[in-house]
Amino acid sequence: MNEIPPNQDQADEVDNRYRRESALDPSRPSESVRRAVLEHATQLAAERSAKNGPAQIGAARPAANPRWWRPTAFGTLAAAALAGLLIIPRLLAPDAPLVGALPTAPVRPNAASTAASRAEIREQPQDATADVRPSSPPPPEESALQPDERALKPRVSSRNEGTVADSAAEIDAKNAPAKVQSMTNARSTAAGGGSETDARRAQTRGATGISASPPQSTAPTAQSAGSPRQSVAPAASSAAPTAPPARLADSAAEVRRAAEIGAVPELQTLLGQQGDIDARDESGRTALMLATLSGQARAVDLLLAHGADPNAADAQGVTPLQAAIAGDRPAIAAALRRAGAR
Amino acid sequence: MTVTGESDETLMGRYGRGDAAAFELLYRRHEMRIWRYLVRNVGNRATADELMQEVWFAVARDAARYEPTARFTSWLFTIAHNRMIDSIRTSRRQLSLETLGYESESVVRQLTADPCSGPLAAAVARDQAGALLHALEQLPVEQREAFLLQVEGDLSVEEIAAITDSSFETTKSRLRYARTKLRELLKEHA
Repeated sequence: MNEIPPNQDQADEVDNRYRRESALDPSRPSESVRRAVLEHATQLAAERSAKNGPAQIGAARPAANPRWWRPTAFGTLAAAALAGLLIIPRLLAPDAPLVGALPTAPVRPNAASTAASRAEIREQPQDATADVRPSSPPPPEESALQPDERALKPRVSSRNEGTVADSAAEIDAKNAPAKVQSMTNARSTAAGGGSETDARRAQTRGATGISASPPQSTAPTAQSAGSPRQSVAPAASSAAPTAPPARLADSAAEVRRAAEIGAVPELQTLLGQQGDIDARDESGRTALMLATLSGQARAVDLLLAHGADPNAADAQGVTPLQAAIAGDRPAIAAALRRAGAR
Repeated sequence: MTVTGESDETLMGRYGRGDAAAFELLYRRHEMRIWRYLVRNVGNRATADELMQEVWFAVARDAARYEPTARFTSWLFTIAHNRMIDSIRTSRRQLSLETLGYESESVVRQLTADPCSGPLAAAVARDQAGALLHALEQLPVEQREAFLLQVEGDLSVEEIAAITDSSFETTKSRLRYARTKLRELLKEHA
């Protein structure tokens, strides 16, 4: 260590000369080394990108979000679908008609009217699945029946007293299984509500004294004040704020009821009287809609012939044509289309 | 910072996350510096090529674990130094010359001599390379390596000491002796 350390100028001189001579040195690493190094580095980079890349190079947070919203979206869709399944039948199906519970009510065959009834049945285009209920034993004691059945049973029995009424009752009995088969649970629930409504109507009529005078529009066979026809005839619209006069309301309700059960002669009689053929029930359904829903093709034809509005939608916005299509009633749908239904 | 505007450490970070282009930038930026450090230490192109590949393979492999606690050049030349020492030791074992010390300049020169270059080729190369590079070959290995680490890696005395596992004062003396020897050799050559 006897040497004197070089000063800064000397160091710079040696370094600068080294750099000058290095720049003139043609020595280079081989091209194969360069290629091998770069290829190896590229391969490792690709492996890193595949392994960690998506999580490290951006989009880390967006990648976590789908896990969050997917179950929520699917859950919402599932809830909407479930709600739709529960609501759509209610929209498409009418309230359960009164005859919906008829299969429980035995129909007493009437020998005098059998021929006429069968002839009418043959004329009436019905669903192929409809089946005439065979002769049944006499009805059980009324005390053993449910309230709904008590409300319905006499109605059928009273019609058996006359030819026209027998025909209607027989058709009712014939149609009942098909109706029950095509109706949803919602409709079945509504059927109970409808029977209860009938009971309330009967009470209302009794309280207002309407039952003292039988409705003029009723069939001649319905004579007694306690007959089901009288108990059903007054519509619940008597309790509605905008209810029409009681007699008109009764007439409109009779028209709807006759249309629904397919009592064509009775319906023809009722339509000859003054009244609104398109009068609606609490659910906004006209007689045409009720006849359509019940598959009463002849009643539909009769109503259309008397100028019923083929596009009168119910409170849910369902038109008769939509109801016919939904209920798989092509004959009725065709008749409605011919009448200008959309 | 370089012409690309990105520091070596930033490029290493990018490559560690899978950006191959960052590695290529780094390689081209430091290729010749590492090459000169290796070839002028070992004196053999084939060995230098082999070491060159090993060094950069190691850089690529360890990039994900690289943490910029030190300068990239310091880390890079540390790898190069270790690879070179490993190569020399392996060569010694293969030749059963383990009794020879790393400091033995003549033995290292023998082990790393370019077999493709004879005396005439070596003389021509020296003339082409210049007097200083010829003088550099005559420096002791420790002094030559310390000098090359400083001029090629722009490393400080502390960094060179850390790479060569030497003390600060020893490293400083090696640098001082190296430059003094080079000046003397240049005077003789002139």
